[in-house]
Amino acid sequence: MEFYTKPGEYDPINYVPHTESHGTSELWRTFWILLGITILDFVIYFVMGPSGFRNFIFIFFGLVKAYYIVGAFMHMKHERINLALIILVPTIFIIGLIMGLLYEGSAISQVKC
Amino acid sequence: MDFLVFIPLFRRVEIIPPMANQQAAAFEKQPMWAGGRSPFNVSYGKLMMWIFLLSDAFTFSSLLVQYGAQRFSNVESAVTTKWPDPASIFNHFPFMHGFHLPLLFVSVMTFILIASSVTMVLAVEAGHRNSRKEVQKYMLYTIVGGAAFLGCQAWEWATFIHEGARLDSNMFGITDQGYKHLASVSFGDHFEWEAGDRTWGPVPFAALFFIVTGFHGFHVFSGVVINVVVYIMTVRGVFERRGHYEMIEKAGLYWHFVDLVWVFVFTFFYLI
Repeated sequence: MEFYTKPGEYDPINYVPHTESHGTSELWRTFWILLGITILDFVIYFVMGPSGFRNFIFIFFGLVKAYYIVGAFMHMKHERINLALIILVPTIFIIGLIMGLLYEGSAISQVKC
Repeated sequence: MDFLVFIPLFRRVEIIPPMANQQAAAFEKQPMWAGGRSPFNVSYGKLMMWIFLLSDAFTFSSLLVQYGAQRFSNVESAVTTKWPDPASIFNHFPFMHGFHLPLLFVSVMTFILIASSVTMVLAVEAGHRNSRKEVQKYMLYTIVGGAAFLGCQAWEWATFIHEGARLDSNMFGITDQGYKHLASVSFGDHFEWEAGDRTWGPVPFAALFFIVTGFHGFHVFSGVVINVVVYIMTVRGVFERRGHYEMIEKAGLYWHFVDLVWVFVFTFFYLI
């Protein structure tokens, strides 16, 4: 492998910016939150009957868990805001995909009947 | 585990010399987009891992949205039975054969993955403090957790196939009699399918279960392989000589992403 920089010279490709430890308290707190929400999922499944509102709760809890995993475990809270934006903003397109395909799916079910 | 130093893996070690650090500090005083430094303040490798995870997020969301579209297009009608209620099918638990325990096993699997995720992030944190012994310990816990999850998934698949599910057919078109039978048992009761409980159901239910959990399971398998490689490199002292434990961080990003995908697989395949 050939590099254009000489040994000992600064090389932006291989250079790693210094990172600090933020301690483990936030990580353990996140773990208990994730565990609590999973147990709550389990309880709600048996306490409530199947309904659209229950599905809404499950999806909302899924998004809360995603927030904690990406924010704390994947360190996104402590990254620079422009990195967070280029990763998170494109996922907006997934919402469009969900709305479009669920609409088409229910339209197909009308044709099948 | 120190015998691992004899495995001739990843011999090349780049060490960033102190001189380069001084030059980098000079670049970091310049405006953010002036060049010569990462405007995101992360290394090239970590940025590329994030971009890869974004593309992988699109892969998994396309699979899960496909599941949603198939489910919405297969409502109960003259030509097809109702989309089966997943928790009444995945109601088995190892060593508890014949008991109706819906959602219990998959909750245990979720717990295993969350636990291995937290040991991974503790390894990353230990890496920030350059503590090699702690990184080794937590990486080993993470590998064990990943292997346990894979074992659980293998058991889940084996049970599902044994019950009659195939990639191209679905024996879980639950009839009215089957739903009455399911409603008559409560959590922990004895339960076996009876004749007339089931008929042929919507094929995409079984097919998409195998495809999506298979895709996720293969990601977990790749993550375990990556973690093993990184663990061997840690034992060999590669990161100690390099001066930073960033490789743990990149492997950790991938591992947490696998956990993140499981959150949504759990929500859409088992809960809803």
